[in-house]
Amino acid sequence: MHHSHIDKFAYQDSPAHRLDARIKFLAMVLFTALVISLPPHSIVIISLYAIGPFSILVIGKIPLRFVFKHIIAISPFIIVLALSCPFYDRAVISVSFGPLSWQITQGWLRCFNILAKFSVTMMCIIGLVSTTRFTDLLAGLGKLGMPRIIIAQLGLLYRYIFVVIDKAQHMLVSRKARSLHYLGFRNEIKTASAMIGSLFIRSINTAENISISMQGRGFEQKWRSLSQNHIGKSEYFFIAITFIYVLVLEIFAKQLFV
Amino acid sequence: MHMQNELLSVPAAGATLTIAAGALAFITRRAKKVINADKLALMGILGAFVFAAQMVNFRLPAMPGTSGHLIGSVLLAVVLGPTLGAIVITSVIIIQCLIFQDGGLLALGCNIINMGLIPCYVGYYIFKTVKGQSWQSVRTYIAVITACIVSLEIGASLVPVQAALSGVLLVPMSTFLITMLGVHAIVGIIEGVVTAGVLGYLLRIRPDIVSDKLEGKYVLSKRAVIASLLIVTVITSMGFSLLASGMPDGLEWSYAERPDQSEFEPIIANKNSTIAQVDTFHERYSIMPDYTKRSSELGKTLSDETEAAASWTSLAGMAGAFITMAFVWVLAQIIRKRSASKPNPDITAA
Repeated sequence: MHHSHIDKFAYQDSPAHRLDARIKFLAMVLFTALVISLPPHSIVIISLYAIGPFSILVIGKIPLRFVFKHIIAISPFIIVLALSCPFYDRAVISVSFGPLSWQITQGWLRCFNILAKFSVTMMCIIGLVSTTRFTDLLAGLGKLGMPRIIIAQLGLLYRYIFVVIDKAQHMLVSRKARSLHYLGFRNEIKTASAMIGSLFIRSINTAENISISMQGRGFEQKWRSLSQNHIGKSEYFFIAITFIYVLVLEIFAKQLFV
Repeated sequence: MHMQNELLSVPAAGATLTIAAGALAFITRRAKKVINADKLALMGILGAFVFAAQMVNFRLPAMPGTSGHLIGSVLLAVVLGPTLGAIVITSVIIIQCLIFQDGGLLALGCNIINMGLIPCYVGYYIFKTVKGQSWQSVRTYIAVITACIVSLEIGASLVPVQAALSGVLLVPMSTFLITMLGVHAIVGIIEGVVTAGVLGYLLRIRPDIVSDKLEGKYVLSKRAVIASLLIVTVITSMGFSLLASGMPDGLEWSYAERPDQSEFEPIIANKNSTIAQVDTFHERYSIMPDYTKRSSELGKTLSDETEAAASWTSLAGMAGAFITMAFVWVLAQIIRKRSASKPNPDITAA
């Protein structure tokens, strides 16, 4: 079933999993902004930037095959964008890599640059989501200032997404089992609309039951969470290492490699 | 449909994130008055419903092997009202970004605006405008389809604009824009048809949900709508007018001037003296010829155009927008006064 992989790694335990969600989130946003703002022709320095998220993934015991399969699954749109670059930028320059050197157009450099940046930023966000339980992440975001209605909305969505997706998958299996061949566009639309409409009505009925249960248990708008966000020695250590790493990359590596 | 980080530069991402965050803060503050526990549960579950609905795919007629799926923002706006619909779709987009990595983190602001705020609000107001009095007529379905097509096209057209404003695009923006508009026209039609189908199904089975009596429905006040339209007009007219090209448009290109072909002779030559006099009069007294500052005084003929600053184009754009709106308002007042003088035989107590 599709939903089982949503956060199957978030419930493991490792030093990365124990870090505070807010720190991880802020570090990831900062890192993404830095990687995106790299100049469009540098490729070597991106491999240096990749060390950070890679180490988080390794410390968090996330299997790398899963990460790369996921990155490849999301990449079609960005591949189209990247492959459009060689068509539009045909200025020829020569590059050298160790003992080898050859001529290449700037467009291809931009193409690889975009793909490399994409991979690094994806590794960042997969690292965050696979090492943080979603409820902890929400509590951290709430402390960082996200409006409480949106936190409550995200929390309820997460809680019920598996339930509703299960229902949808039952319906899809039933449809497949009952349709022997393609019956025409009109029937496809009619069937799909009926399935979606029926899901909608069931969702509303479930929601009515849930809201009665919530009110019966004393829910009053305030979304309470058990996660305790705690900034301790390991968080300070993580902040210090990230700070030094980013400083080294921005100041020294940029001079050497860009 | 979801933009990735690489399509944006950091300042553009920051700006769109700020705009989206500001809009959301405004919406949540307004919605807080009407959201209590049962509406909260409804909104959460409908967020999960959107995910499930996006999994229900259907084969498309002309393209074997591909299947389409519903996006759902216009459906939510029609049933829940634009405010709550926008909150639900925003939460869906955030989860898609964080957990499914569909859309970059820095592009979250752009994605929320293009796929959440614009389809919900623009779609809802187009739907309300086109729909007639009753929910059960054909006009409702036409309204839904129109709302889907137009709002999705507007959302899609913003993607090349945001990418161009970041300075990241190598592809010329017009090519990108035309591709996006073309693809999303088809997407919009299919979305409209499926949303109309779902709405029809709901009207048959549970009409109480669909009519305006659903518990959670909440609409922005008229003042807020006008204020947001004003802000959008100012930004659009000032900003986007700068992207306007100085090259001749299609019609002018066909008969009058072609800057890329130096031997081109204009195809028509009109020797009528009345027309020449009108032309001269027009030239002397137009306030902002060709959307920039006049190079000679009012009353004299135009000298050779010197390049005026870009700020004049922005001024022209904004002035034009406001003059048009004032004109429309005056026209509406006149029409309203005329129809108020005829008594309406159809007034019944609601």
